[in-house]
Formats: sequence, structure tokens, C-alpha cells
Amino acid sequence: MTSCHSIRPLLPARAEELTLFEARSRAEHVAGCARCATESAAYSRLGHALAVMAHLEVDPVDGTLERVLVAIGRRRTAVTDPRVLAAAGSAGALVATVVVARAVRNRRQTRPAARHMTLPRRLRLPNLPVPAPALARAK
Amino acid sequence: MEVDRELVEAAQAGDRWALEELVRRTHRSVYTCALRLVGNPDDAADVTQDVYLRVVRKLGGFRHEASFSTWLNRVTTNVAMSTLKRRTRRFAVEGAAVPADTRDPAPEPAERAEAVALARRLERLVGELPEGQRQVLVLRDIYGQSTEEVANAMGLTPGAVKVRLFRARERLKAELEATEGGQVVALAGRRRASGRRS
Repeated sequence: MTSCHSIRPLLPARAEELTLFEARSRAEHVAGCARCATESAAYSRLGHALAVMAHLEVDPVDGTLERVLVAIGRRRTAVTDPRVLAAAGSAGALVATVVVARAVRNRRQTRPAARHMTLPRRLRLPNLPVPAPALARAK
Repeated sequence: MEVDRELVEAAQAGDRWALEELVRRTHRSVYTCALRLVGNPDDAADVTQDVYLRVVRKLGGFRHEASFSTWLNRVTTNVAMSTLKRRTRRFAVEGAAVPADTRDPAPEPAERAEAVALARRLERLVGELPEGQRQVLVLRDIYGQSTEEVANAMGLTPGAVKVRLFRARERLKAELEATEGGQVVALAGRRRASGRRS
């Protein structure tokens, strides 16, 4: 049988934390050694009590809940749900389409008035005097 | 901490009431986990707030592959570990980490009553463990995270996690026996003896 000295480091471990060989050695030793069996049982109870601690809750310091609710209230303006984002995007696109359509229609309605304006068919440049150095270079 | 899937989905859809209800139902659990990890009430309150700010940002991406409480626990762990990396501890854990009042989520069956009583006593002893050992023990033995998850959260190797975990368990058992005059060992012995008789 393995010695208490070599088994002792294995006693705090859970079964799934040991190799098959380690688990078997521990089980064999504990079956024949009252002292290590007691230690092993104490660790089991400790493990069970620690797992129970996950269900025990502590009362937070005063104002924690209120602080959290205020903080998330400030942040909540950013919507993260993709369905809501898709709906908002569609609504935005619809509004944009309506605005553009109205702008185009208004422009078409105002265009005939613009046609009545008399514009010269050809634009001519006025006869400006040519600067002397430029004239000399041209010659 | 039990949370209805419908409530989570309503919060995901942008229902303000659902989100606030989600916070009301889970904030004690988040605070408790944060307190066990960071070691003092003020930092735990800060972590709790940061957790929910992150939840608001990330809730849309939660796909119900794990339970909401498991997901929330991971978020809490990550936020608490980030907080610890940023800050030096302001004051000692002793006393501060001990809950004035722990509450049970529901009436316990008789066979669990002893474990619950022991768990209440353990709360103080866990708070008095060295920080590195305490965090590993809290994540692995209380919240049931795997060794790899704990290693990732703490930036350690799995081997280092195991070493800290074993030391924490040894120390916790020794301190429990010291404070209770070997009551745990004696009870375990009685239970073992009664198990053999039956």
C-alpha cells in the first residue's frame, strides 16, 4: 500500500482533478487508513460547503442597487438588440426616402419659373487690355 | 439566482422594466461574487456597477448557450479581475469581507442544513485567505469554474492554479479545524462510521 506521505498531497483534490492512477492510489490507501480516510472525508465536506456558498448572498452596501439603476439608465440609450436596430434602420430609410422625394418634387415644380429667365445664348469675354510684358513675350 | 429566459429576452429587446428587474434579481449575487473576489465592500460595489454597464453593452450578444447566471458570473469574474489589476487594495480583507447577513435563496432541506451552517462559517475564513489563494478557491470551488477558466481569468497557468487551490483548501481546512476544535473532522469521522454501519 502507498504511504500516507505520498497520498497526503492528493487528499485535497477532487476526483476529476486527479489522474486515473492517482485516484486509484488514493482510493486504495483511504480504504485501509483510518486517519487519511478522516482527512479525505473532511475535504469532501469542505468542498460541499464551499459549493453551497454559491447560493448564499450578501446584502450589498447601501445604495448599490440605486447606483446601478442610475448608471444603466444613463447608458441605456444605446440599443443593442439587432431586431430593434433593424427596425430603427428601416424607419430611418423610409423617412429619408420621403424627404428626398419631396425635395425632388419641389424642385420640379420650381423649374418652369426658372426657364422664363432670359439668359444670353453665348457668353462673351469683355475686351480687356493685354499687359505689355505678356505682349512682348508673345512676339 | 434563478432568472427567467423571458425576462432576459425582454431586456435584450430593449424593455427598460425587464432590465431593471433583471438587475434587482441578480445584484446581490453579483455583489457577493465581487466581494469574495476583490475583498472589500466599496470595490465590490464599484465592480457591481461596472458589471451591469458591461451587461447593458453585451446583452444583445448573449445567445442563451449557457444559463444567464453562468454568463453573468463570467462577466463578474472578468470585471473583478480587471479591477484588481488596475487597483491596489485599499484596505485589508479582514472584517470587511465578512457579510453581516447571508441569506438563503430558499428553505434548505434538513440534510443540507449542516452544510449551509458550515458555509456561513466558511465565509469569514475564505475572506481571510491570501488574495491569490482566495480568488482561485472562490472561482473553482464556490462558482465551479474549470481550472482552465480560472487560469485564463487570472492570467496563470493551470499548474499554478492547482498549486494555489490545493494550498487554499489545506489552509481552509486547518483553520476551520482550529476555530471549531476539530469539529469538522469529528463530524466527518462520525458520518464515515455511520456510513460503514449502514
